Amino acid sequence: MEKIRKHTEDAVKSMDEIRKQTENTVKSMDIIRKSIDDTITDTIIECIDITRTFKMGEVEVRALRSVNVRIRRGEFIAIMGPSGSGKTTLLNQLGLLDTPNSGKVIIDGSDTSRLSDSEKGKFRLHNLGYVFQDYALLPELNAMENVYISLMMQGKSKTECESAAAEILAAVGLGDRLQQLPSKMSGGQQQRVSIARALAHSPEVLFADEPCANLDSETSKEVLDLFEKFNQEKGQTIVMVTHEEWHAEYADRVIRLKDGIVQE
Amino acid sequence: MLEKARVSFFLASRSITRGNKGITIFTVFVLTLIFIQLVLFSSMLAGVTLKFNELMVNFQTGNVVVEPKEEERYIEGASALQKKIESLPQVVGTSARLKTTGNFRYKEKEIGATIYGIDPADETFVTGLEDAIISGEFLSRPDKGEIILGREVSGGFGALMESKSLEGVEVGDTVELTIGGVTREFKVKGIYSTRFFMADASAYLTIADLEEMLGIEGRDFAQEIAIKTVDGTPEYDTRTALLSLGIGENIRTWHEFAGILRLIESTLGLVRNIMNAIGLLIAFVIIFVVIYVNIVNKKRQIGVQKAIGIEQNVIIVSFVLQAMLYAGAGVIFGYTFMRFGLVPYTVSHPVEVPLGSMSLRLDNAEALNRAVLLFLSSVVGSVIPAYKLAQKDLLDLIWGK
Ligand SMILES: Nc1ncnc2c1ncn2[C@@H]1O[C@H](COP(=O)(O)OP(=O)(O)O)[C@@H](O)[C@H]1O
Ligand SMILES: [Mg+2]
Repeated sequence: MEKIRKHTEDAVKSMDEIRKQTENTVKSMDIIRKSIDDTITDTIIECIDITRTFKMGEVEVRALRSVNVRIRRGEFIAIMGPSGSGKTTLLNQLGLLDTPNSGKVIIDGSDTSRLSDSEKGKFRLHNLGYVFQDYALLPELNAMENVYISLMMQGKSKTECESAAAEILAAVGLGDRLQQLPSKMSGGQQQRVSIARALAHSPEVLFADEPCANLDSETSKEVLDLFEKFNQEKGQTIVMVTHEEWHAEYADRVIRLKDGIVQE
Repeated sequence: MLEKARVSFFLASRSITRGNKGITIFTVFVLTLIFIQLVLFSSMLAGVTLKFNELMVNFQTGNVVVEPKEEERYIEGASALQKKIESLPQVVGTSARLKTTGNFRYKEKEIGATIYGIDPADETFVTGLEDAIISGEFLSRPDKGEIILGREVSGGFGALMESKSLEGVEVGDTVELTIGGVTREFKVKGIYSTRFFMADASAYLTIADLEEMLGIEGRDFAQEIAIKTVDGTPEYDTRTALLSLGIGENIRTWHEFAGILRLIESTLGLVRNIMNAIGLLIAFVIIFVVIYVNIVNKKRQIGVQKAIGIEQNVIIVSFVLQAMLYAGAGVIFGYTFMRFGLVPYTVSHPVEVPLGSMSLRLDNAEALNRAVLLFLSSVVGSVIPAYKLAQKDLLDLIWGK
């Protein structure tokens, strides 16, 4: 009987130990999960297995083939590659300007493949900013109006719009040209207005497709310096397409594309 | 909702103030013309109708007409009834008339006409016949064997239906008149023209002469008593007053005699509606084309607007607002031109038409109706192209596909 009692006590003891160990394991697993969570939340955009094919009559152009990209919050990314390699196409997928044939784009934890066109529009309005190669300013709006039109669309009051626009235009060095129409500005000035427009609503990510392609190298440097300033001072995430190596030096990381495939 | 409207309005207003001025001016100009066209015909029709009505009241019926009781040929005791009616304060004058049809003969020509027997003094209180004399003189009470002819009977003086007239009877000539088998000769004392075809196809002689021809001398009969009231007295009130005098005869206002005018009016109304429909179609097409051209030039802008998150509906509404502002400006300019330009001009310089001198009349309710129609067609004309384009894929728009 006594033997039996002892055995039982032993058994209970070892069971306690096992329980303790299990608890420890669970704890450490929690830590791992947390760190995984951290990395996930730290990822601002992730695209998984993106494929984009264009049909040109009979011919199919496979602009992106199973592209996987992950961009962390606060990163300055340069997308490079030869002409026709799919840089613009990739940027358009990341920036929700286009819809991939297959694959997912996850921005800030939300899967955007399930959004409707108008929901995507809202998402772009509130969370994303764009700088185009040819500035793409609205010619009938002056600098300030071009900048605050998206704030207005967000429902901000006129005074909020105007003060925010004035502030950001001052930050890009155009504080003295608030009322100027795009047609009266140089290319560099127009591109700075377009940067101000892209940043006015503090987007999660700024996308720029060859923002300096139409600018001389001095003006290009001014624009890139602006990007760097916003990246470093405000932690602005930037994804920029470029084909100039010296532009890429501004970036934290370069994603190289060739024939629609990311080169490791 | 309001915030979105604000953005649409903002885009539209900037587009108008900073966009292509030439296109704006052209569009507004064309819409102004279309609005004028839409109201012009109505104004003409209203002017003609007014003229018709005036002539009707001034030269034929007065405001109200008393006719024999049902199934009776004559009003009996006409002069007593006249006195009774003239006792009403709103009555300016009354004219008891005999009315029949007769045949005129002059040289080889023979025509039919309506013949009135009147008391010339009474008649001048009711109609403007005396002032309508264009040759010779008006009748006077003691005249015997004298007659005045409308220009459609006499011919000449610009008669509209010369071939259906006696072709060239002049004052002083003698015409032969046959009524119910009785023929007598009359000397033409005067020729009148009201320019109102129906009134000008008649002849007037003294009531005594006509009584004699009808064989009812001294019976104090009349076939109608035309009543002229003070300007602005509603016909309905006059009728009520007459009824309260205990008059058992048939009382009709001039409106009831205007049946043929109604017919003309509704015929012209149909023409007007067709012209309006065509005008609106033109407005629609022009707005469609202007907005379409405007939008096609702005494809890229629309794409960029969509890219930065401006909603499709906001973009569409901005174009519709623009079209509505064009239409609004067109309506305002068109209305101003009509109300303060063309209409007052035709009032001070009436247009001479066969009917007489006519001026335009602009009815505000009609103008409003045309304005609304123009607005609607500008909305439809802009929604279609704006929707078609704004709906496209934004990258296609940006790359100009
Ligand atoms: N809308 C389109 N329709 C057809 N083909 C396209 C379209 N967009 C891009 N492509 C094709 O996809 C490939 C990648 O284009 P793109 O992404 O613009 O290249 P990059 O920006 O690197 O020069 C090219 O071969 C291009 O011709
Ligand atoms: Mg490109």
